[in-house]
Amino acid sequence: MVVRIRLARFGKRNAPFYNIVVSQARKARNSKPIEVLGTYDPIPKPPPLGEGKPFKDIKLDKSRAKYWLGVGAQPSDPAWRLLAMIGLLEPRFKVMQMRQRASEVEGLREVGTDVEGEGEGEGESEER
Amino acid sequence: MFTWLSGPGAAFRQPLPGSTNYLSAYDPAGRLIRATQKTRPKGPESEDDIEIDTETPSPEKNTQGEKPIPKETLDDLMPFPMNRQFRSEPVLSEELKDEIFRQWKEEGKTVRRISADMQVEMRRVGAVLRLKSVEEEWKNQGKPLATPYARSILSMLPVTRYAPQVPITAHESINDLPVHTSTLRQVFHPVSESRRFTRTDAGRVFDPTLLPADERIPHPELIDAYRDIGKSPEDRAVAQQQREKKEADIKEAKRRIWAEEEERRVTKVETERWEFRFRDVSVEDAGRDGRGRNGVGARYGMPHEDRKKGIVKIPRRVE
Repeated sequence: MVVRIRLARFGKRNAPFYNIVVSQARKARNSKPIEVLGTYDPIPKPPPLGEGKPFKDIKLDKSRAKYWLGVGAQPSDPAWRLLAMIGLLEPRFKVMQMRQRASEVEGLREVGTDVEGEGEGEGESEER
Repeated sequence: MFTWLSGPGAAFRQPLPGSTNYLSAYDPAGRLIRATQKTRPKGPESEDDIEIDTETPSPEKNTQGEKPIPKETLDDLMPFPMNRQFRSEPVLSEELKDEIFRQWKEEGKTVRRISADMQVEMRRVGAVLRLKSVEEEWKNQGKPLATPYARSILSMLPVTRYAPQVPITAHESINDLPVHTSTLRQVFHPVSESRRFTRTDAGRVFDPTLLPADERIPHPELIDAYRDIGKSPEDRAVAQQQREKKEADIKEAKRRIWAEEEERRVTKVETERWEFRFRDVSVEDAGRDGRGRNGVGARYGMPHEDRKKGIVKIPRRVE
C-alpha cells in the first residue's frame, strides 16, 4: 500500500485547519497517521502594520518531509504545492510555475543587458 | 418609606459633594458620623479608623456650619452595612489618568518609571495608557464620549486625586512580592552557623530555579534608587539614566536575538496573493507516543473541550 503525504482537515466549520500527515493512502482522512509532519492554516492573516501581503502560517518538519519523500512517499496535489514552495519538489502547479517563469524572465533580462554590452547573449537565450 | 425619606434619608437628597455618601457613614438619625464626632478615641479597637489618603486635603464646608468635615475613614467606606469586610477601594481620578498619559506620550517615560513616580501599579498604568489611547482615537474620529456618566460615577466613589503642586498620594502599594507557588510550603533547612545564608540562598532552598525576592518584585530598580538617596540630585539623575539605558540595551539585545532566531526558523515564500511562512518544527516534540503537549498540529484521540461548561473562551489577558 502506498504511503502518502497529505492534508487532514481539522478545525471547525468555516475555519479549516490542516495537519500535514504521512499516512497510508487507503486510510480515512482523519485517522491516526504514521506521522504528523506539520500544520497548514489556509486562512490568511492580515500583514502586520498593514505592509506587504497577507500571510499564511505553515509549520513543517523539513528534514522529516525530505526523509519521507526519499523513501517513496507520494504527496497529494495540495501537499505537492506546499512542498514545492520550499524546494523539496519540482513545482507542478500554476503559482510556482509562474514564479519559475518570472525568474526565467529575470534571467533573460540579465542576458539582455549583456546583449547591449557584448552582443553574444541573444544566441544563448534562444538556445534555452 | 416616607418616614425614612423625610427622616434619616433626607441627608441623601443633597449628597455631600467631594465625598462618598455610603449608608454606613451616617447614624440612624441621619447625621454624618464623622462630622459629629470631632475627636475619635484612639485605642486598640479603632484599627479600622486609620485614615486613608485618597482625598485631597481640601476642606469641605458643611452646609450649615463653617467647620471643615474630616476625610472619610475606612468605616465610612463600607457601601454595604451588612458586609463589614467590603471596603470601597479608591479609583484613579481623571486628572491622574491624564497626567499618566501625558508623561508617557510627551515625556516618553517608561511604564515602569511612571508606575514608580505616580505610585500606581504597572498593570494599572498599562490599562490607563491603552484606554486613553482609545479615547484619543475616538476624539479624533468625532465619537461622543460618556463624560457626564464618568463624572457622576467618580463623584460617588473614593478617588485618588492629582494636582501638579501637591505631593503625590500613593494610589496603592506598587512593589508587592508576588507569591510563588513553590514558596507556599514550609521548609526546615538546617544550615551551619558559619555559613553565610542570604535571602537568595533561601529562595534556592524553595526551588533551585526561583529568583531571589529582590529580582522578583515588580520594581527591582527602586532598590538601587534607594541606595542613591544620600547622593546629590544630579548624581541620582545620572545614575537613574544609566540604569534605564542599561535596561533598554538588554531589552533591545534580547529583541535582536529573538528576531535573528525568527529569521532563521521561518522561510518566507511570496506568491501572487499570499506570503507563505514556513516555520521549521520538529516531529520529535510530540514525544514517543505522539501525544506530547508540545507536539505540532491537532492531536488525535483528544476531544475538544471548548464547548464544555465552565471553559472560559474570552481572552483573559491583554498582550
